[in-house]
Parts: sequence; C-alpha cells; structure tokens
Amino acid sequence: MSRTLKDMRPVHVIGIGWHRYQFASETPYVELGLTAVRAALADAGIPWPAVQTAYVAKALLPMAPGRAMLRHLGATGLEILHVEDASASGSAAFRHACLEVASGASDVVLAMGVDKPARVALAERSTGIPSLADDAIAPFTHFAMLADQYAHRAGATVEDIALVAVKNHRNGSLNPNAQHQKARTLAEIMGGKAISGAFTSLQCTPVGEGAAAVILASDDGIRALGVDPARAIQVVASVGRSQRVYEDATRFDALLTSETAGLAFAQSGLTAADLDVVELHDAFTVEELEYVEAMSLCAEGDAVRQLKAGAFDIGGRCAVNPSGGLIAMGHPIGPTGIGQIGEIVLQLRGEAGARQQPGARTGLAHMVGIGAVCYVHILQRPG
Amino acid sequence: MAEPRLLMPQLYDGGSPPALQGGVCDCGHVFFPLQAYGCERCGGHGTRLRPKRLAARGRLVASAVVHLHAGERPAPFVVGAIALDDGPVVRTLLTGTDVSLPPGCRMVGTLVPVTPAQDGTPRVDFRFAPAMGSDLS
Repeated sequence: MSRTLKDMRPVHVIGIGWHRYQFASETPYVELGLTAVRAALADAGIPWPAVQTAYVAKALLPMAPGRAMLRHLGATGLEILHVEDASASGSAAFRHACLEVASGASDVVLAMGVDKPARVALAERSTGIPSLADDAIAPFTHFAMLADQYAHRAGATVEDIALVAVKNHRNGSLNPNAQHQKARTLAEIMGGKAISGAFTSLQCTPVGEGAAAVILASDDGIRALGVDPARAIQVVASVGRSQRVYEDATRFDALLTSETAGLAFAQSGLTAADLDVVELHDAFTVEELEYVEAMSLCAEGDAVRQLKAGAFDIGGRCAVNPSGGLIAMGHPIGPTGIGQIGEIVLQLRGEAGARQQPGARTGLAHMVGIGAVCYVHILQRPG
Repeated sequence: MAEPRLLMPQLYDGGSPPALQGGVCDCGHVFFPLQAYGCERCGGHGTRLRPKRLAARGRLVASAVVHLHAGERPAPFVVGAIALDDGPVVRTLLTGTDVSLPPGCRMVGTLVPVTPAQDGTPRVDFRFAPAMGSDLS
C-alpha cells in the first residue's frame, strides 16, 4: 500500500539559513554552503553531529560537492546524497528529506542547496531526436510565448503582466538575502533591456549564486534536542509530479501545477482559501499569473484584477512571493526551492520583519523545473 | 546552380508546402518529430509506431520576437507555436513577419534559404509563415 506524508509521522522544519543570493563572484561554493548550513544549525539551536543525513541540491556545480564542503563542519560520517532536478532541485531534496524523517528512518535531516553559475547543457538536446529550432527557444522565449498566449486569453496588456515584477521587486527590496534589493516602478521595468517578446530584463529571474539550508526533525528529534516546539513548522503535504500528455500541450506548466497543487491540497485537507503565503516559481512574470490561477488562488483569467487590487501583496488576502520570488530574490537553481521553504517558515513563525504577512498560519511552496517536473509543499504553524 | 539541399531532411520534405515528418502510434497519438523510442502517451514501441506525414498547416497559438539570444542565431528573430491541423503543436522560427502575430492566425510551412553547405551547395530550412490567398482555407 502506498502512503503519503499524512499517513506517516509528523515532520517539522526546525532551522533555516541562507547565504545571500548574489551575482557570480570569486566566493567558493564551500563558503556559500557553509554559511547557510551554520545559520540553519544556529537557528535550530542544534549541533552538527545531530544531523543524520544531508541532501545536497545542486544543478550547476561539478560532481559531488557535498562532502568537500560539509567535512568542514566536522566529518561525522553522515550520509550525503546529491539531488538534481533542474530548477526544482532544492524542492526535490526537501521532499526526500521530509520522507526520510516521516518514514522513521531518521530523526534529524539537513536539506540544502548550493550553486554557482555555469554553462548549462540540457539533456533534452542530446536525446538523439532532432528538432526544428529548439535552440532558438530559450526558457525566456518559451515563457514569452506563454505571456503572448496569456495576454490574448485573459485580455491582459504587457504592462498588466509586468505588474508582477513591480510587486516582487518591492518585496525583494525588504529581503536582505535577495539578489535584487531595489523597488522598481512600472516605467523602470518596462524601460529595461528587451529580452524576448514582452519581457524586459527586470521581468526575468537573475541566475546567480548562493545557498539555502533547512533542518527537518521528527517529534522525537525535537524532544531529544530540546528544540522550542513553538518555532517548529510542520510540513503537512509533499507532492512531486512530472508532465503528462495534455490536451493543450502548450500549457503544460500550468496544467502540471494545477494537478500537483490539487494533490497537495487533498493530502493536507486544505484548500487554496486556507493559504496565507505562497512562494511560487516566477522565473518570468507571466508564470505568477498562470500559477495563482492554476492553484485556484483566484479564478481563471482573474489574476491581473486580483493583483491590481492588492490581493497578492504582503498584507493582502494571500502574500505571493513575499521573499521577492525568483524575479527579485533570485534563482541560483540548487538553493531556490530550499530558500522558498525558509521564507515560508519565517512567515509562519512571525519572524519575517518588514515582509511579514499578518497572521500567517499556512503557506505553500511551488517549483517547476525543466522536464517538466513540479513540486508542491504545504507548511503550517502549530495552533 | 545546384538544387538546394534540405538542412534537416529527417524533419520535413521538399514539397510545396513541405510536409513535416511526424509519427503515429497504434493508440492514436500523433506526434512530431518522428522517433522510435516509444509513445509518450501509451509507451508502445517497435511496430506500434509508424511514420505519418503531417501537413504544415495550422493556427498560430503564440509568437514572440526574440531580442536577445546567446546561441549562434543572430537576434532579433521571431518564433511561434503552431497547432497543426493534424494535431501536434510545433514550435519553430517564423518568416514573413518581423513582429509577433495575433493568435489564431492561419500559418503555412515554407522553405527558406539558409547558409550554404561547406562545398557551396545551397541549403534551405523549414519555417512557418502567415498564410496568404488560397493557403488561408
């Protein structure tokens, strides 16, 4: 019989940490990663030897960065596992760390992501199946075409779509771990460098470097280590899926999101109406509009109206990408999905400072990755 | 002048308009391009997969002018997604326009000259263009 997280023992996030996401620098990945892990250990108030397994998400670093980095915390002999799932690498690492704790195999597990920019070669281009011009359709062009489709379907203008970037850059300006920390006007965003279709540079995620880490624990682990249970945030749903054959092949990102989020809602017994905070994959502005509709935060075609009414602002009905999202916080790839979990934990603890969504109790993290793959996690604070 | 050579003859033929070399599975799934690994819908392989010529006619789903591109292709250029009348959605370069076109627009395949081969043989490659006149039907 197959089981989901809800059928297993509770799993909680007890520690979070980052190395700021930033433009490529000379800083070695070891320093990025250790900074995030040490911050997460300090946040949890636990010693490194308590960690039984480390899941290391990375998509761009060379083979096997894990032990070369983690040995500097003390080579305890813990299990080290590397995870790659394109943009969703961190989310995949987090999901499997959750399952390890929930299953009872371990009481304390680290999930971290670290990456530095590097030349990317996609395996989809080396399948041996030729293509007409796939080389001409970079991810920003794939989403530029989706923006064109969305604009016509929903009756939205290019300025309407760019409003997502205004909100997310504003949120990023309040986040000390964000790569972009500057609020931008709509005119600044529209006046930026033209990239593809309606997209200008500030509507596209910057791919830089950085690290994020979270520590997961069971109730037994929390008791044994004397962690404050009031700051522990439970993971109440974890789902990973990949693309199927859809009737409308062009909208696979949204259809896959809808299906994955639906399974996560079913697993947790919650609905979109219960969400106070959402961190979602806004590598390009239009994605946020597509995905808030796909996960039923609003009706199909209504995202722009809701965005303009402030529903997705910090302080609105549900804060969407309060961290700044991929557009402002950045997308160093391996860390991104882990960093989303960190932001939701901050929000649900009430520790998000200037970015705090008032009264936040339930949060959802969503990532898609090339393939396509999709992950959704739902977290909830006690009480 | 030598007869132009097709840049990717495994993907299309030299007809007017050219036909795309797709495939069909016994389960009914129609796909492009042709491949023998297995059907994405049902997993069928071997003799269950057969070649199927797909008419290069359809409706534009979306398009975008690419202003910045890291590959060898010089920007700007226009790309589009076309839902073929025969089923699959095909994404490729557009010709006959330097702006994006309204979704729903009728499109037809065409061959355009590209960089000649090293021995000087002229070459042509496949593009979609907005349909005109009798192609509009």
